[in-house]
Amino acid sequence: MSKSKKKLSKKDFHPNILCFCCNWCSYAGADLAGVSRFQYPPTIRIVRVMCSGRVDPAFILEAFKDGIDGVIVTGCHIGDCHYLKGNEFARDRFERFQEVLKIFNLDKRFRLEWVSASEGKRFAEVITEFTNKIKKLGPLFAT
Amino acid sequence: MNFIVEIERSKKAKLEADDFDSYLRKIYEPDLTNLLKKCYQCARCSGVCQISKVQKFTPSRIIQMILEGFEDEIINSQVLWDCLMCNSCLQHCPKDINFADIVRIARYKMRVKDIQNPDRSIAHKGIYPLMSEMMSQDNMEIERPLDWIPKSCTTSDKGNILYYVGCLPFFNYEFEDSLSIAESTLKIICQLEKDPVVVLKDEICCGHDLYWGQAKFESFIELAKKNIKRFEETGATTIVTACAECYRTFKIDYPTLFEDFKKKFEVKHIIEYIFDKWKQGKVQFKNPNKSHEVIPFTYHDPCRLSRFLPKDNKIIEEVREIFNNLKIIGYNFKEMEHNKENSYCCGVNSWMNCNERSKALRYKRLLEAKAVGTKMITSCPKCRMHLNCLKKDYDNFSSIEILDFSEFLVDLIKIIEPNQTIEEN
Ligand code: SF4
Ligand code: SF4
Ligand code: FES
Repeated sequence: MSKSKKKLSKKDFHPNILCFCCNWCSYAGADLAGVSRFQYPPTIRIVRVMCSGRVDPAFILEAFKDGIDGVIVTGCHIGDCHYLKGNEFARDRFERFQEVLKIFNLDKRFRLEWVSASEGKRFAEVITEFTNKIKKLGPLFAT
Repeated sequence: MNFIVEIERSKKAKLEADDFDSYLRKIYEPDLTNLLKKCYQCARCSGVCQISKVQKFTPSRIIQMILEGFEDEIINSQVLWDCLMCNSCLQHCPKDINFADIVRIARYKMRVKDIQNPDRSIAHKGIYPLMSEMMSQDNMEIERPLDWIPKSCTTSDKGNILYYVGCLPFFNYEFEDSLSIAESTLKIICQLEKDPVVVLKDEICCGHDLYWGQAKFESFIELAKKNIKRFEETGATTIVTACAECYRTFKIDYPTLFEDFKKKFEVKHIIEYIFDKWKQGKVQFKNPNKSHEVIPFTYHDPCRLSRFLPKDNKIIEEVREIFNNLKIIGYNFKEMEHNKENSYCCGVNSWMNCNERSKALRYKRLLEAKAVGTKMITSCPKCRMHLNCLKKDYDNFSSIEILDFSEFLVDLIKIIEPNQTIEEN
């Protein structure tokens, strides 16, 4: 495994990205991107959560610990959360959490985005953009 | 060709595994019965057990069951995740049975052999132990913020004396001003040392929480190895820390893993450090504000400095000697009802078990503190955080101020011959 990783040049590095989607907006947005056949790189693994406020910073650290290359959390736009304030909590929490990520040099590999159910195109764009960014950064556990 | 490489690699992996086993043997003893057989069931431990005050938990009964051959049942029942690891039981055991240490070993068994998931008992979703684990991995670069260092202090990468900050910058994300402990500690050390103090940018966790909390010995051993290597690179001979847990880990647990740790480094808690300087006549205490009001204050003994150290090495009397001396400058030291080795536990250990039961313990502790003073000093950053967290929930505790030892002393200390660089500033 490690040997094959070593040979990988940055060009054909295929990042693994974890994506948390809230059930009501972003997941529907991702769905829309699918049915409207917007192209985006097959790098993400989606985890559906009921609300972006459900995502704990510990989940993100755990993912990085196990070697994921990037994490993106998506939720409804501010004011649109179906549980009223879930995404505001998420925003505040991750803002503070940046401090910790910075210590581990992971702050560039994490992103928080708001994507609504009708923004299928935007979902595809966000994922493409983030994938390109991670590709530039290279694998997390480079040998 | 590839075949040979493969064999070489498997050989190397095996060697590494053996290496791990030899370390594991030093901190892990699979035969629990052997460790417990001296117990004669006086049940004193169950009488003093702190968690038994708020929930059903009887160490003596657990011991008896293990001795009768029901070890598997105890392990399966998951009951041992509830122990606070406060060591009150050892304090009162006539046969010196170290129950907390046995729980630690049992937890390793529970996790590795029984594949139990302690998630329900881990506080803050386990984010802090996770950080420690990440630091034990080889491929993580750590870059701590150093902007808290007071301007007048010069720090460096190499030198005689090292200040080990511990996890304070990580706690800062959820607990306000935990870095002020680091700031005041460094301020004191800086003024007393001629040479610049070593503060590492890439300092990693000491591993205490992994060792006691979830018994992740693999990561603990990795952390210990990395830490010792890094300390050696700095050329330091003295390590000063303001954290009770780091102190205990460096003083007792690292030397059990690496015998020569004791020879290479001298470990000092900030209390010891100030006490020594005070005895040498290098510091005095003075009150910056000239009011004549007498301030009553009290001290909460962290378990790691009282019950977790060998009998003749406890840091209990030194701190009281300093505090009693503060009377002349208007600070009146009073003991809480439970003090020294008998002091109540703050209720959380190694980020395990923060629940309504442990909160009840903290509530009791704050009631005791409220009865005797307006300031509560402790010398463990975690005790300070846990107690402060509860204090916020109850209005009737708003009169108490909970401070760390160095935060409290930084304004009261007067250095006789302050360092040149400070004077210029
Ligand atoms: S106090 Fe010691 S001897 Fe007595 S029951 Fe507990 S472990 Fe056994
Ligand atoms: S370590 Fe503390 S909580 Fe655990 S059994 Fe002993 S007294 Fe009880
Ligand atoms: S429901 Fe979408 S962010 Fe809360």
